[in-house]
Amino acid sequence: MPASKTSNRPEELTERLGAGVASVDAGSETLLKVLREVKNQIIGNKTKKLTYLHLGAVPKVVSILVSALDSGDGSTAASLVVQSAAALGSFACGVDAGVQAVLDAGAVTHLTRLLSSPDEKVVDAGARSLRMIFQSKLSPKYDYLQENNMKFLLLLLNSENENVTDLAASIITHSCESSTEQKILCDAGVLERLVTLLEGSLCQRDSSLDSIAAIIRNNSESVSRFVGIDNGKALSCIVELMKDRYPRTRLLACVCLIVIGHASSFYVQEPEIKTKLILILTELLEESGRPGDEAPFALVSLIANKEDLHKQALSVNVVEKLCSFLCQAHIDGKRLQGVLLVLAELCSNLEKCRDQFMSSKVLNVVADALKHDCPNVRIAACTCLTSISRSVKDLLQNLFAGYLAKESIVIPLVLLLQDSSSDVQVAALKAICNIVVDFMARKTIFLQSGCVKQLVQLSKSMDCTLRLNAVWALRNMMFHADKIGKEGILSELTESMLASLICDSEPHVQEQALALVRNLVDGCTDSIERMFVEDGMILNAVARQVRLTSVPEVCIQGMFVLGNVAAGNDAHKEAVMTYFLPPKKDEISSAFITRFLQSTDSLLQTAVIWCIVNLTYPDSPSSSARVSRLRDAGIIAQLKNMINNPCLDVKYRVRTALGQCTIIEQNSS
Amino acid sequence: MSVLGLVLGQFSDLIESMATSKKVITREEWEKKLSDVKIRKEDMNKLVMNFLVTEGYVEAAEKFRLESGTEPDIDLATITDRMAVKTAVQSGNVEDAIEKVNDLNPEILDTNPELFFHLQQQRMIELIRNGRVEEALEFAQEELAPRGEENQSFLEELEKTVALLAFEDVSNCPVGDLLDMSQRLKTASEVNAAILTSQSHEKDPKLPSLLKMLIWAQNLLDEKAVYPRINDLSSAKLEDPAV
Repeated sequence: MPASKTSNRPEELTERLGAGVASVDAGSETLLKVLREVKNQIIGNKTKKLTYLHLGAVPKVVSILVSALDSGDGSTAASLVVQSAAALGSFACGVDAGVQAVLDAGAVTHLTRLLSSPDEKVVDAGARSLRMIFQSKLSPKYDYLQENNMKFLLLLLNSENENVTDLAASIITHSCESSTEQKILCDAGVLERLVTLLEGSLCQRDSSLDSIAAIIRNNSESVSRFVGIDNGKALSCIVELMKDRYPRTRLLACVCLIVIGHASSFYVQEPEIKTKLILILTELLEESGRPGDEAPFALVSLIANKEDLHKQALSVNVVEKLCSFLCQAHIDGKRLQGVLLVLAELCSNLEKCRDQFMSSKVLNVVADALKHDCPNVRIAACTCLTSISRSVKDLLQNLFAGYLAKESIVIPLVLLLQDSSSDVQVAALKAICNIVVDFMARKTIFLQSGCVKQLVQLSKSMDCTLRLNAVWALRNMMFHADKIGKEGILSELTESMLASLICDSEPHVQEQALALVRNLVDGCTDSIERMFVEDGMILNAVARQVRLTSVPEVCIQGMFVLGNVAAGNDAHKEAVMTYFLPPKKDEISSAFITRFLQSTDSLLQTAVIWCIVNLTYPDSPSSSARVSRLRDAGIIAQLKNMINNPCLDVKYRVRTALGQCTIIEQNSS
Repeated sequence: MSVLGLVLGQFSDLIESMATSKKVITREEWEKKLSDVKIRKEDMNKLVMNFLVTEGYVEAAEKFRLESGTEPDIDLATITDRMAVKTAVQSGNVEDAIEKVNDLNPEILDTNPELFFHLQQQRMIELIRNGRVEEALEFAQEELAPRGEENQSFLEELEKTVALLAFEDVSNCPVGDLLDMSQRLKTASEVNAAILTSQSHEKDPKLPSLLKMLIWAQNLLDEKAVYPRINDLSSAKLEDPAV
């Protein structure tokens, strides 16, 4: 290695930075050289930044900055200020640890001093550095509520220097979140100034668009204020910028328009503008850097939960375009995530979108994305699968099942259940949940994949979202499963585990656990038997939950479980009857059936009546005894009052139940 | 832009009036129509200044400013800096160019990973060109490989560049074009464009696009009329219509 090279090693340079602080007064040219060398090494180079951070270079640079500022005039001092500011700005660019180090070293206060320098180069350097810092989420929020701060911000915003106005705009974008902050900025006339900046240079235009979006986001008052500027000139200016030749400007203008549309449906409501937004954002995907990375997210925020916009997107071939975009080349993390989310959104609703999705080769890309390094991409891939599996068309189902059979999806998806990120786990659970419901072919694939073991593991998680989704997936897997399938799930899960899930602290988990049991005892006497093992542990838990809970959804699922058990043999019916009307006169428990029948929730009423229908099934030997017990408890009378219930389901079930009772009483008399 | 608008406006008028059949327009008629188009001298001057500035003819721009009184839309001193960067890349002093860009505006390379990579790549190409194989390898490992890890497409380009080392006769190898002057020019123009963009200046001069629009408009007009056409852009001579 050449001798000159060694002197440029980060370790040595950092050491010399530290030694140099003392010599600032002397106007050390050497120190300037070292500083410049460090700056040139770190710009654009993440690895080097981390190396220098590790060596503790940042506080040293800040010390140099401070001594140079304090030493007053002199061209070397000014150069030291410029170089150290540039180095600090670069440390704060693109590396979180760098921003943190710069903040910790107290650089912001010192850099702010640069802004009042008479030397334009010093002002530029300070403004650029501060802007880097304020672009990071890590930097503290700027407090507009303090009058002095607001004055200072306005001073910056009204500056002649472009870098300074850009800084002001970044501060606004960074720190404007609450509606109070938005209002203060509006009242100070910031929007008007930003609109003038829209006519400024390219950079000013872009940073101004960013800030405008921050001030009007979710705030209909600021939106109408903005739209009112110069009789709507501001708005039409943004509509023009949507077609600008610079991709970044197009993106930012689109984001502004989306924000305006969200805050108030009165503006930006013409379908043509929305179609244009969809088209422009789709085209932006091909652009490098921020425009291409952020365009899909803007698109998702535009079309989310809006079926009319899904249709519009479909009509301009967005699904096709996105699919071929994904298939054509390697796409980096953020953009891949964004595109997958757009596809997931579009396929969540329209069968036609799913059609186009499935007929492209894009499912292979999704399969690969399940194994992507970045957790957000894995989540997006899961979300896509969730949307696709919503399809009700046989053709698509078969196609999808064909893919699943190839295991390129099932295996990575099941592996995601053990992902280190719980968000990924939840996304994978939701996908599995959707995929396994009601389709035997898919269920079998998952049952054979070792998935159940993982799900059971997750249903014991401390994290209630994980627990909920795991139980939900098991519930769907249990739905219409064959005998072997049900046995498999239950033996993995165990009766005691199931009983404790029914009594979970979270009502949502209780509901899913009960629904799981409901699916287990659905029309199969053998499975009903499982309810009675260990002294009827599961059934006891069900009855207890139904009796005690005040959450209607839990009652409903519980009643459906009891109804399904009551569809079994005479012994099963008797058992349910015991919970319904305990032999000892127990007012609280008899009250719960009465209470449910009086409920305003017709699904709950239906569930109870189904149960009664099963209990009073005429061919069953002890039915007549049960009918008279029900009559004694006043339940038959209550049913009679419901014979003209406005809900058809309730009405017909009531008639069936009463009809059965009449037959039984006629037979016995 | 106002000149552009005027010229285009005039053409679209013509296009509309001749939409029905292919009309013949004589030279006299044509010249009369052209003389009706008023073009302001200041606009012309601005276009010329824009060309000089964007292309980096700093001395010419300065002289033109003095003679015509046209103010450039950019500080002329920055042109000198920009040209110095461009020249440095074109003559293979990439390290020097990088330092100059960073002095000009440290954000350019910090926020433009692709450009930064291409400059580093060019630096390695120069090392290879000068036969400093060991240094080139070390540079690839220390500086370029981490960038390749961050970005798949960089990795592919890096592999191509490293491949230069595998050939004895680089001038004849499949990746030999990396050593061409054209590669330097490509990198230089990329830096040039990035600097211009950072100065909020359009990276291309307006005159060429004006001429492109002229060609486009003529092509459109060809379908509807026969007229004195400009075929040679350098002389802008009106050719008599061939009837």
